[in-house]
Amino acid sequence: MYKHIDKLEIAGFILPVTLFTVWYVATMEDAVPAYLLPSPWDLIRTAIDFAIASEGLTPYSGELLVHSIASIGRVVTGFGLAAAIGLPLGFLSGRIALAKSSLDPTVHLIRIVPGIGWLPLAMVWFGVGESTTLFLISLASFFPIYVNAAQGASSVSPMLVRAGRMLGASELRIFTTVIIPAAMPSTVAGLRLGLGLSWAYLVLGELTGVTHGLGAVMMDARMLGNVEMILVSMIFIGLFGRISDLLLLGSFRRLNLLKGSYEE
Amino acid sequence: MRKAKLSVSDINKSFYMPGENISLQVLEKIDFEIQEGEFVSILGPSGCGKSTFLNILAGFENVDCGNAVCCGESITGPSPERAVVFQSPVLFPWLDVKENIMYGLKQVGKRKKDAEQLASEYLKAVGLEGFGNYYPSQLSGGMQQRVSLIRSLVLGPKVLLMDEPFAALDAQTRYSMQQLLLQLWENNRQTIVFITHDVEEALLLSDRICIMSRRPGRIIEEISVPFERPRTISLAGSEDFSILKSRILGKLLT
Repeated sequence: MYKHIDKLEIAGFILPVTLFTVWYVATMEDAVPAYLLPSPWDLIRTAIDFAIASEGLTPYSGELLVHSIASIGRVVTGFGLAAAIGLPLGFLSGRIALAKSSLDPTVHLIRIVPGIGWLPLAMVWFGVGESTTLFLISLASFFPIYVNAAQGASSVSPMLVRAGRMLGASELRIFTTVIIPAAMPSTVAGLRLGLGLSWAYLVLGELTGVTHGLGAVMMDARMLGNVEMILVSMIFIGLFGRISDLLLLGSFRRLNLLKGSYEE
Repeated sequence: MRKAKLSVSDINKSFYMPGENISLQVLEKIDFEIQEGEFVSILGPSGCGKSTFLNILAGFENVDCGNAVCCGESITGPSPERAVVFQSPVLFPWLDVKENIMYGLKQVGKRKKDAEQLASEYLKAVGLEGFGNYYPSQLSGGMQQRVSLIRSLVLGPKVLLMDEPFAALDAQTRYSMQQLLLQLWENNRQTIVFITHDVEEALLLSDRICIMSRRPGRIIEEISVPFERPRTISLAGSEDFSILKSRILGKLLT
């Protein structure tokens, strides 16, 4: 069985290794000009320089921390806002028919317009930059958080609720000690989707013009014709996105809230 | 005569079937009483409404008409005074065994230290010492059902309601659960209403058996079980047991 897994894991490496080799060969002999695609080696040097100002290769050398803090701060704020509104509303609409019928139609109506479609309006309302970015992140990540929390809360096994009631739990305690924990697997799936969207909309917001942030660096580097920096920023955004997802998942696992919903 | 712990008079219950636009009567004119310390089984074919009856006693369902009273108070909703053991364990999967047992104690305001103490005692009594930190998914079906049993027992309910609690277990585990329940009952004389479709189980465990008819469910006969206590599983091999069993089977099949 272990042998089988090893084989599959090896299979997973074939494509990236091939791509990397093609990339390396293509840039080695300048078959592809460096202003379109830099070599892997140049990219690594640029990334290290971006982080610790080792060589002063670009105008951004040593600025990784500043831009990362700006970007991560926006994701945390925007995503946090979406979760703070989306979770309680989702749980309520999953359990209370009146909440569902008052909220659901409007939420789904707004949801139909893709998040990107809000960009022009957001720029008119909030101006270019910070507030627009936060608005876009919150708006986009709200929907999966709300929908999945509601779905989780509405599909809690009625038997679990009965068990809680006969053990003496009040309606409020049922909500906090049965509904919310039982809804967690679905809720966390929604939070992860929302977090992923947060990073996507962070880049969109930052492209429209903020002074600091990885998206700003990308846009700025494009104007300077610095492809290395564009790619390096992309890599860091991907890296942070992945790390934040693992942190989110890990913290819920630690709290023991992903034990799986009850199955009869 | 002692006052009944729980009594039900003249209750009817129907369910509205939206698909067919008819109302299906499941219980008809049920009269029932149980005294303190009595173990009574409700025996009937599947679909006869015996689980609905238990749900009414538990306060999960309302009656159409009639009265259901526990210790002088009308039953209006679920309460730890009428704790339930369901057919499946229905434990909280995100809590470990100990936390599951302490859940009810916490709701009724027991101090954490006392609750922990009680949980350990009961775990020991059912042979699950050392499993307090396991999660339900890590236990076998029989072990889960033992946890489910003591999570209700630990609350010291006035009446324990058991809804075919061993029906989903394999035969061997079922015997050991029946044996365990007999032992526990010898020690605390808990008042128990026990729903089952298994004649042997009813005979082995109870003081009295109420036989229900097919739907709409009525109590068609009450039988006092004469066997001496303490009982063991070996009782099932005796001649008196067989005679009573065939008498009840005959009644069920008519």
